Amino acid sequence: MWLPIHLNESSAEPMYHQIEVQLRALIVSGQLTEGTLLPSIREMAQMLGCSVITVRRVYQDLETEGLLRTRQGTGTFVASVQKEDLGRQRTASVIEAVEAAVDAGMRVQLTRQEMEQIMARVLDERWKES
Amino acid sequence: MMETAAVTLKGVEQYRAHFRLGPIDLNIDEGYVTAIVGPNGSGKSSTFRLLLDLAKPDAGQMSVLGYSVGQGDDREWKRQIGYLAEESDFLDDSIRGSEKAAFVRKWYPEWDVNLYQELLRKFEVDDAIKLGKMSKGMRRKFEMALVIAQKPKLLLLDEPSSGLDPIAWRAMIDILHRYMEPGDRTILMASHIIDEVRRLADFIVFMARGQILGKYEKDELFERWHVLYVPAANDSDRSKLLAMPGVIDAELAGIGMYRVVTEDAPQTEEALRAAQFGIGSRQAMQLDEILQVLMQRGVYA
Repeated sequence: MWLPIHLNESSAEPMYHQIEVQLRALIVSGQLTEGTLLPSIREMAQMLGCSVITVRRVYQDLETEGLLRTRQGTGTFVASVQKEDLGRQRTASVIEAVEAAVDAGMRVQLTRQEMEQIMARVLDERWKES
Repeated sequence: MMETAAVTLKGVEQYRAHFRLGPIDLNIDEGYVTAIVGPNGSGKSSTFRLLLDLAKPDAGQMSVLGYSVGQGDDREWKRQIGYLAEESDFLDDSIRGSEKAAFVRKWYPEWDVNLYQELLRKFEVDDAIKLGKMSKGMRRKFEMALVIAQKPKLLLLDEPSSGLDPIAWRAMIDILHRYMEPGDRTILMASHIIDEVRRLADFIVFMARGQILGKYEKDELFERWHVLYVPAANDSDRSKLLAMPGVIDAELAGIGMYRVVTEDAPQTEEALRAAQFGIGSRQAMQLDEILQVLMQRGVYA
């Protein structure tokens, strides 16, 4: 099983966080449906080129959030996501992405006003496209 | 989760006329791949030989899979270890692969003949050939198949990919990942192939001049050891940079730009922001660069 997860090793974001955000998005967006069997921890580590320690942490975090469940001996599956959870999760992942963008702005010392302008411009552009 | 150690070394030392190993204190966790990285002559192979009781330490204690090394009957625990030495044994040159396999299987109760055949097919090795007549790469692949078919709990691999072509190398990586799948197996490998360590290891141990320079979780290592390019004006900035947490080195890398080496990027970046420095760009360091920095800094762990 191939998953569209891409890692940026020069990012300031820790690897487990990058994987977690992307895997969560795949589940919340419905690209990975309920009952889907995920790769084993070792397979996932091989696929992403990271250690099993990182993958185990991601699986455990998403299990705590109720997005995954592990059955002893069979593996880790995508859990059933409640409608209202789905809504909350959807916005949660977007909020996180916006926070990351704001952090990036702060790193290069943009002012609040400059960031608002950028945000408005990107929104205008993307909405025109779609 | 409770971590159990597959291998422990406590205060292990070995004195030779031209080389001193240790003192080494190290735990290798069960269920993980640990790679020992270091230049030639750093003591990796010597450590393996000590762990297998092929050489005696002058001080210290070792345990492997819960057994004390050098005490009592060693058959029980050695049955659970697969060892791939760096050099092939020339004493085997005149026998065929199949004869070697027939000998080895007597000693390993877990020997899996189907797995052995599958690995030979995957590696495209003909075990009817005499070992001395095999090419270096084919012999390496044969020996790899032999140790994995023993289904050991612990695999000790000394420079496993030496002599392998890129295709065989990829097959080896895949086979070793599959070997680890059950979750309670352990690999301890010595390697100086950076790509191999990146693909396989969960933990990385740096070793040089007979000493352990440190043990790190792989992903954390690459997340923390970064080079940051920081716009800064003068020498007083340099001393400020050097005083920040995590910073190992800061040198001028062009006009008004410092190249900052850090072993704790998140902390250093926070300190930089607090002190109103910008960050021009960041780069994860490669394994060999990290080893070099650790070696320059000398022994600290």
